[in-house]
Amino acid sequence: MSVLDRLQFYLMHFMPYPDVVPDRPQGQWVDIPNTHFDPERGHKLYKDYLDELVLGDALGYDALVVNEHHSTFYSLMPSCSIIAGALIARTRRARICVFGTPITLTYPHRLAEEYAMLDVMSGGRLECAFPLGTGMEYWVNPLNPAHARERFRESMDVLMQAWTQPGPTRFDGEFYHYKYLNPFPLPYQKPHPKIYIVGSGTEDTVHYAAEKGFGYSQVFTPVAAQLKSFENYRATAARHGHTPDSESIIISAIPYVAETEAKAIEEARDHILFYFRSLLRTSDQMNSPPGYLPVDRLRKRLEAGVFQSSEITWEALTSVYRTVLGTPDQVAERIAFWCEQAQSSRIIVHLHAGDMPHWKAVKNITLFAEEVIPRLRRKLSLKAAE
Amino acid sequence: MTQFHKSDIAVDGVRVEVFEAGAGEPLVYFHGAGATRGFDELLPLAEKHRLIVPIHPGFGGSDDDLSINTVLDYVVHYAALFDQLGLRDPVDLVGHSLGGWIASLFAIFNGHRVRRLALACPAGLRVPEHPSADLFMIAPDKLASYLVAAPGVLAKMISGEVTVDMKVARYREMTSLARVIWERNYDPKLDRWLKRITAPTLILWGEQDRVLPAQQAPQWAERIGSKAQIATFDGVGHLVFVETPGAVERVESFLNGGG
Repeated sequence: MSVLDRLQFYLMHFMPYPDVVPDRPQGQWVDIPNTHFDPERGHKLYKDYLDELVLGDALGYDALVVNEHHSTFYSLMPSCSIIAGALIARTRRARICVFGTPITLTYPHRLAEEYAMLDVMSGGRLECAFPLGTGMEYWVNPLNPAHARERFRESMDVLMQAWTQPGPTRFDGEFYHYKYLNPFPLPYQKPHPKIYIVGSGTEDTVHYAAEKGFGYSQVFTPVAAQLKSFENYRATAARHGHTPDSESIIISAIPYVAETEAKAIEEARDHILFYFRSLLRTSDQMNSPPGYLPVDRLRKRLEAGVFQSSEITWEALTSVYRTVLGTPDQVAERIAFWCEQAQSSRIIVHLHAGDMPHWKAVKNITLFAEEVIPRLRRKLSLKAAE
Repeated sequence: MTQFHKSDIAVDGVRVEVFEAGAGEPLVYFHGAGATRGFDELLPLAEKHRLIVPIHPGFGGSDDDLSINTVLDYVVHYAALFDQLGLRDPVDLVGHSLGGWIASLFAIFNGHRVRRLALACPAGLRVPEHPSADLFMIAPDKLASYLVAAPGVLAKMISGEVTVDMKVARYREMTSLARVIWERNYDPKLDRWLKRITAPTLILWGEQDRVLPAQQAPQWAERIGSKAQIATFDGVGHLVFVETPGAVERVESFLNGGG
């Protein structure tokens, strides 16, 4: 059976604050003056962004995805659970994915409680992914980047114990000691909602996800590097007695659909470039606080020249990353190719990008749902008929 | 002039480098948060002493010890290293910056092992009116201006292109430093512990120190009490021994019983 037989579409939103502060080579993170925030503008953005995700539910997307960042114009979601709570109340069908709060930035039992609330409130529609958090988060939270990976693992142990062992239990760790680990409520789904680990390709993280039997998802990194991670993930998972399937890995893409390819490029190109050049931009120092990267990983990156902060080109975006702008046929063809290439049946689509206005996001979300998804499904039935 | 010779020793299973020069009564030097260069500026101290410069785990050519995550862990490490080197009798102890913090804690908890103590712009004390710079926040291209008063001093030490090896070595040392002081670059307890130092103590400071302001010097002296004295150096920044031979001379005369 092909991965295309089980395709699931995850509509994801970053909820950026697009009124960036100009002339900041270090980007819109960490020390960005927060006096530039306009609450009335923020109010309007929350409304538009929530409407876009709610529309996704009505149009049949399988899942709605939100995530979390701190002290940055990149994201208006310093708590993805709050956005998820708002979405649960306004949606009926789509799964709600918190992809997610870096567990090290909060108390692990508290995250176990919050996510359990969301799962119960939604009647079992929750999926969770656990990121380490970007390097930038560590400058604005009272948290040591040099202990990040150890603390992350222990925090996950707390959460899994809280969700899978009848409470109260006791926990004695390096970072946390619980006299009574006894979260209430517990998740709706048994034993717990689907869990992914979000990584950036660091081998350590890939192995962790695979060994524990969690799913794996990789942030914006060149496709070739992702495929290598996925291969590594599957081999490691198999060695540890797990059987990863096409749902174990989630890939992500930035598609924009329009009447013609030229129109798609005209309408979306600059917003996507804005996302990469303005919102995602940061400095090497902020991106890699001491200890955040294993030293050998830093060496690999330096040797590969990843840190040379040259401007990302459109050619790189469309060849190295999964970006496709075009007609429904063109977009469907690429999506099918990427899913088969990664042997993944779950794909996150970023249909709002950068400083894209509400109407374009609505258009893109609608056309993707009404023109692209059916083409992919039809492709399957045609294939089946052969 | 005498030269350093290097040896490797294992302390609690962790291999560390130890540089030694000269002969005589032992003098141990705890370095600061960067150890990728030599310590030639200290060699005058080796003329009358057995000068011992151990490299902290996680720095320079020493291996990592991932179980170290507090400054006090370094003190425990050095108690073991002293045993290993057979330093049974009290020694003269000099510490610079992070090394000054370690040396002060070492003197607090191992007072019987310290004859005389010299602290050069020690880190670790919380002085709200004159706070220490947060080393992690300083952009790489600004670092030199924090470390020395006259930039030419560093240019002599670091010449040529910054290589990948140098960047990786620096990141690794900053990681080791972050493991112990990322959350806060002081120990609130030091304030009440410093009076436990019993050895005569010399506090040295560069008046133009931008990492640890010289205004912190009297705060150290006040807490340590009457056994402490202060020497400051005009036109000198944080790398006090590198920037002026006068600082090494001052330590020498202090250790020889001079004022």
